[in-house]
Amino acid sequence: MARTSSIQNKMMLLVLIPLLVWLGAFELVPVLRMIAMSFQNNDGQGFTLGQYVKGLTNPLYGKAMLNSLKISFISSVAGLIIALVCSYSITRFTTKLRDRMIMISNMITNFVGVPLAFAYMILLGSNGMLTLIGKELGIRSIAGFDLYSEAGLTLTYIYYQVPMAILLVYPLYNGIREEWKEAAAMLGASVWSFWRHIGIPVLLPGVLGTFSILMANALGAYATAYALTGSNYNLLSIRISALVSGDIFPNFQLGSALAVILAVIMIASLVINEWMASLSRRRGL
Amino acid sequence: MSYVRIENINKSYQQQKVLNDISFSIEEGQFLTLLGPSGCGKSTLLRAIAGLNEIDSGSISVGDRNITALPSKERQIGMVFQSYALFPNMTVFENIAFGLKMDKMKKSEYTPLVEEMIALIDLKGKENRYPAQLSGGQQQRVALARSLVKRPKVLLLDEPLSALDAQIRRSLRTEIRLLQKRLKMTTIFVTHDQEEALTVSDRIIIMNQGRIEQEGSPEDIYTHPASEFVARFIGSYNVLKRSDIGLDSLPDTELFAVRPEVISIAPLAEAPVAELGTATIEGKVEQLYILGNVIRFTVSAGGLDILVDALNNSTVHRIQEGMDVRLFLPADKCEPLRQ
Repeated sequence: MARTSSIQNKMMLLVLIPLLVWLGAFELVPVLRMIAMSFQNNDGQGFTLGQYVKGLTNPLYGKAMLNSLKISFISSVAGLIIALVCSYSITRFTTKLRDRMIMISNMITNFVGVPLAFAYMILLGSNGMLTLIGKELGIRSIAGFDLYSEAGLTLTYIYYQVPMAILLVYPLYNGIREEWKEAAAMLGASVWSFWRHIGIPVLLPGVLGTFSILMANALGAYATAYALTGSNYNLLSIRISALVSGDIFPNFQLGSALAVILAVIMIASLVINEWMASLSRRRGL
Repeated sequence: MSYVRIENINKSYQQQKVLNDISFSIEEGQFLTLLGPSGCGKSTLLRAIAGLNEIDSGSISVGDRNITALPSKERQIGMVFQSYALFPNMTVFENIAFGLKMDKMKKSEYTPLVEEMIALIDLKGKENRYPAQLSGGQQQRVALARSLVKRPKVLLLDEPLSALDAQIRRSLRTEIRLLQKRLKMTTIFVTHDQEEALTVSDRIIIMNQGRIEQEGSPEDIYTHPASEFVARFIGSYNVLKRSDIGLDSLPDTELFAVRPEVISIAPLAEAPVAELGTATIEGKVEQLYILGNVIRFTVSAGGLDILVDALNNSTVHRIQEGMDVRLFLPADKCEPLRQ
């Protein structure tokens, strides 16, 4: 009996080998190489913290970090607010409509990168459909909208943050039980009092967790921003790309250090998410 | 005048009547149970009294106040839900204090009231626990305390014990009854459990398909079921036709309910002659179960299965499965049923 079980375990490990090879070759080795390179000098030799010092003190990269954080923060907050309202309204639909809305959100979540940038160019580019309509109708805010600016970039970020936020926030509303609302009403609470004292506190850990995922999602975004602004807008992901592939003076070591800094920021977001989730689990939410 | 008056309540969902002209009243301090099978309308009625369900017509009054059109929070009614409905982000103390906070009471005012309630439900030392850290029975006690702390005029209990295991159910129902008596709280309790209803209630209303089938004291309901539905629902009554019993002295109805314990059983070979006013039925013992101090026989007689409960003593030990027996049914124990 024990022998059969041991053979079964070995067979299971055998099945895992392709996955382990894949993870090692395309995840672990590149990450380890990147970390190792981030501690090397520009010639790829020795051990130095110089790349990190440069990454954190150089105004160009400092500004890139700030821009990345700013655009990620604004798009995450806006996306989250829109998703909170939309998800709540989805919970009020019929099951059939609800399933369709979630399916559409799922689909839109994957509509990112160059196709998304192209779609926005068609709509709000210099000769975009909405831009031309705005010009025709004399609506200056639309006619004069610059898609290739920070505002344009924020708009596209919000666009892809919303469906992802809906997918993450929608299940949270299922956790709000109708009996809580009824019990609160029986105890003298208004609808607002219910949300203030019960609904929002119950949702909050999940909402903050969602926010951290959105932040990580936006911080790592590259293709949409690059397709829209090239390297004209200073984002950390674009700077890393320029250092490892696009610059006439590539510096893999500095690029690696910036990538590690970006990864640390994203991991910090995810750690906050896990902490919030464990807080919820402890309270049985 | 009665304390709670429910008058001519009607309610339909998608043209299906779920409450059909329901009227009854409750005296102050009374414990009334709405008893019936799932889907009979008892919970809908309770929720209508709470103001959580709208009604199509009728009126609800508590004391001298007509509360029919009032929202839940203005009805001064407390409710305990089947699923407890405790707020998971609040501790035991905060859950109990919530209603008082909504009444704009200051912390210094409500703290002693909440502490008193916590002592009453025997949860001292667990004030700072969250609901997820409590057992089902403890959670239900917190839910009860949360409703009682506001001193509602009427307390509604919507199957509060059905999510608990049998042992905790039994102890908690006794606790609820003692608490209700102590606080003299007018209470309406909803359950589908006959034993629970008979144990705790001052009065029982049996509902079926949105109507009241019978109301009365537990003794009344148990000993004098008014209809075939009540007889079958309330216990293991035998429902027999006049022709099955075959006595002329029976009241003028077609159906009768006979409790298993009023029927005597004897082996056919040694059976005595029936006394005047006692019907006899002959049959064969199909099954025999020992239920502790009682033995239950299922006797097959002319296409009928008659249940007989006899005390577990040496007199009935002679009776075995497959044996021919004679049953004795006293006429005065045959309850006439409305059809």
